[in-house]
Amino acid sequence: MSKRQLAMVMDLNKCIGCQTCTVACKTQWTNRNGREYMYWNNVETYPGEGYPKKWMELGGGFDAAGDLKEGVIPNIEADYGVPWDFSYDEIATFNFRENNPAAAFHADSTPTWGPNWDEDEGAGNFPSDNYFFYLPRICNHCTNPGCLSACPRDAIFKRDEDGVVLVDLDRCQGYRYCIAGCPYKKIYFNSKISKSEKCILCFPRIEQGLPPACAQQCVGRIRFVGFLDDVEGQVYKLVHKYKVALPLRSDYGTQPNVYYIPPTEAPAKFDAQGKIIEGSQRVPMQELETLFGKAVHGAIKTIKAEKDKRAKTGESELMDLLIAYHHEDMFRLDANYYQDVAKAKGVTNPLAPIDNRYAKGKFTNEIHFKAHA
Amino acid sequence: MKTIIKSLIIAGLATAAYAKTPASATAENLINAQRVSNINVANISPSDSIWRNAKSVSVVLYPQTTIKLNDAKANTANKDNKAITAQVSAVYNNSAVAFKISWSDPTQSVQSGNVSDVYPDGFAMQVPVSFSDPKKLPYIGMGSEGRPVLVHLTKATNVHYEPNGNGDVEHQVSPHNKNAFGADLANYKDKVNKLGKNAYTRAFISEGFRSMTELKDESDKFGMKMTYDAKNKRWTGVVAKQLRDSAADLSKYGALPVSFAIWDGSKYNRGGVKSLSTWLAVKLQGKAGGDALVKELTAKPQGDAKAGQAQVEAMCASCHTLSPAKQAASPFMAPSLNNIGGYSTNAYLAESIKDPNAVVVAGYNRNAHKGFAWYNVDAKTGKRTSTMPPMMSDDKSINDAVAYLKTLKAEVAK
Repeated sequence: MSKRQLAMVMDLNKCIGCQTCTVACKTQWTNRNGREYMYWNNVETYPGEGYPKKWMELGGGFDAAGDLKEGVIPNIEADYGVPWDFSYDEIATFNFRENNPAAAFHADSTPTWGPNWDEDEGAGNFPSDNYFFYLPRICNHCTNPGCLSACPRDAIFKRDEDGVVLVDLDRCQGYRYCIAGCPYKKIYFNSKISKSEKCILCFPRIEQGLPPACAQQCVGRIRFVGFLDDVEGQVYKLVHKYKVALPLRSDYGTQPNVYYIPPTEAPAKFDAQGKIIEGSQRVPMQELETLFGKAVHGAIKTIKAEKDKRAKTGESELMDLLIAYHHEDMFRLDANYYQDVAKAKGVTNPLAPIDNRYAKGKFTNEIHFKAHA
Repeated sequence: MKTIIKSLIIAGLATAAYAKTPASATAENLINAQRVSNINVANISPSDSIWRNAKSVSVVLYPQTTIKLNDAKANTANKDNKAITAQVSAVYNNSAVAFKISWSDPTQSVQSGNVSDVYPDGFAMQVPVSFSDPKKLPYIGMGSEGRPVLVHLTKATNVHYEPNGNGDVEHQVSPHNKNAFGADLANYKDKVNKLGKNAYTRAFISEGFRSMTELKDESDKFGMKMTYDAKNKRWTGVVAKQLRDSAADLSKYGALPVSFAIWDGSKYNRGGVKSLSTWLAVKLQGKAGGDALVKELTAKPQGDAKAGQAQVEAMCASCHTLSPAKQAASPFMAPSLNNIGGYSTNAYLAESIKDPNAVVVAGYNRNAHKGFAWYNVDAKTGKRTSTMPPMMSDDKSINDAVAYLKTLKAEVAK
């Protein structure tokens, strides 16, 4: 357990599945260097197969006795989806006068599966009781991480300063037990460097007081970021004060630190004549209980009560929080805190990460990154 | 063409020579290293002429079953593993020692391209950084505290442009992330391909599995190569190591302890799931010294295995799994002794029964099974203390127990 813990709250009532977070993450971190197939942030349709396919059935996490459970490592073609590329070279050299231009621009592989292959399909029968909602997922930066526990080399560590879980790329030798151990399948194998990689909670941004790219770019403003011990922060209030933000699949025993406001409002079902069935609920509570545990009943009750209160009295702190008026309230990060940590550690470079195990180990040559060689 | 025929004849002669000296003619766990004139450490190859007169012996590698890891597919695929017999030969000269190891593997597994669940075949050679007492060699599972080992590893991977140990990450960038077209792009791809090294070949220093750390400062001067014979379905690997470099000085010894490990990619083998040999004595022929080591590693256990069995079953079996038929209450309770007789030395077993704290390897992720502490760690000193109490103290009981424990090992595959 770390001294402090950063957490994220995602309000599922406001997620519109636009994938802006996914794109922000991809362009920031995963569009290169063997990470092309990875989505450190993804938004999947629930119910659905998820990413990677059927991740909830692939094992990992802990049993009731606290023993790490066996897991399965997903396959790129069948479970993640192979990212395809277009034939840019052919376009550059293509003779458009003599040939049909359409033939030149083709994908270099024929995909059979990929993230969001089943987007917006959901479950139930249209139009009477079909339903779905979006489930954005990043690494949960767990308090008791399955990946960290599975690693036989101590290559995964949890930062004391903020609980961010990182792979020490110097120690990692690509055994992939971490992938089997993570019940969320949010750690990936990079075959180009034969090492595991995962969401880093944009720690270089966080250390400068900026929220992770996925949260910053979210157009629905569904993501709150802050320290769990910051009682003035919105994250603390949503998780601890109002208890409306709940961890995903806490039954896996890893104590995840990404919390979700469960879907509260869904249209009623229709009867055979297409008429509204009063008081019915399209999203089955059983499904929500599977995802968020029994506490989901209380959370939904609280949100509905506060909503009514706001409608009647015009006042509700919880509703104000969920409306998310200002980024500065939603993202309670503190560059000064990290600067103090850096100072205490004797790191003098204000731009250096507070913890350089991620990039550079004891026996690693210094790496200088040049964007254009 | 001439050279091909010539080498075929030589290969034929060599095979005939093996047939005349069956492995049983030499002592178990003993490899005689022939003196040769020149060993090309950096570019060692199975086709080098140094191997011409080297005699090979059979070495048995047993499945690693001490720790049960958490990959469901790997656990199923390796459940009933048998031991593998490899053919090992050795040569040496004043500055280097080299080994050739060949083993049967019906499936050639090469890690190549964009994959998440494919594992390469591979092999490794381990030597202690130093050793004085042949009874106190490093723990076979990658050394132990105060008894470090050097591990040399190569895996069957295709050329891929990653840092490859060069630290050259700028050339990893996907071509589409470069503002380059036409000839520029071709040049870029050329450069990237040139940077790609052939194999995943690495050296590590280790005081127990968890502590294993890659040596990237080139202090360990070694070379490795492995080639697959598709017709006979066999891998042949070679490894050469300088006897004296800044990682270790092995030049003073007349005999060396070495051990080998083999990975079968088709069975999801990688760190933690592999086959390994016990410490083998490598006698440098014609060089004085090392007799005590040879004697220790080739000695048969002295005790009465039957008497030992009764003791071990009474005193150890509640925590330790002894065989697939004699399982402990939980697979996470204590290290499994399934194959302990295959890869442990007599001296290590005796030492650990008498003083469980002599060797406490950080070989196990304590966070994975919080209910089963194999050892406690002093928060201040980091010193590990085994949770196993000393079990026996009189030499007779210990020798008997060792004799029995040495029988605990998987059957050897035909």
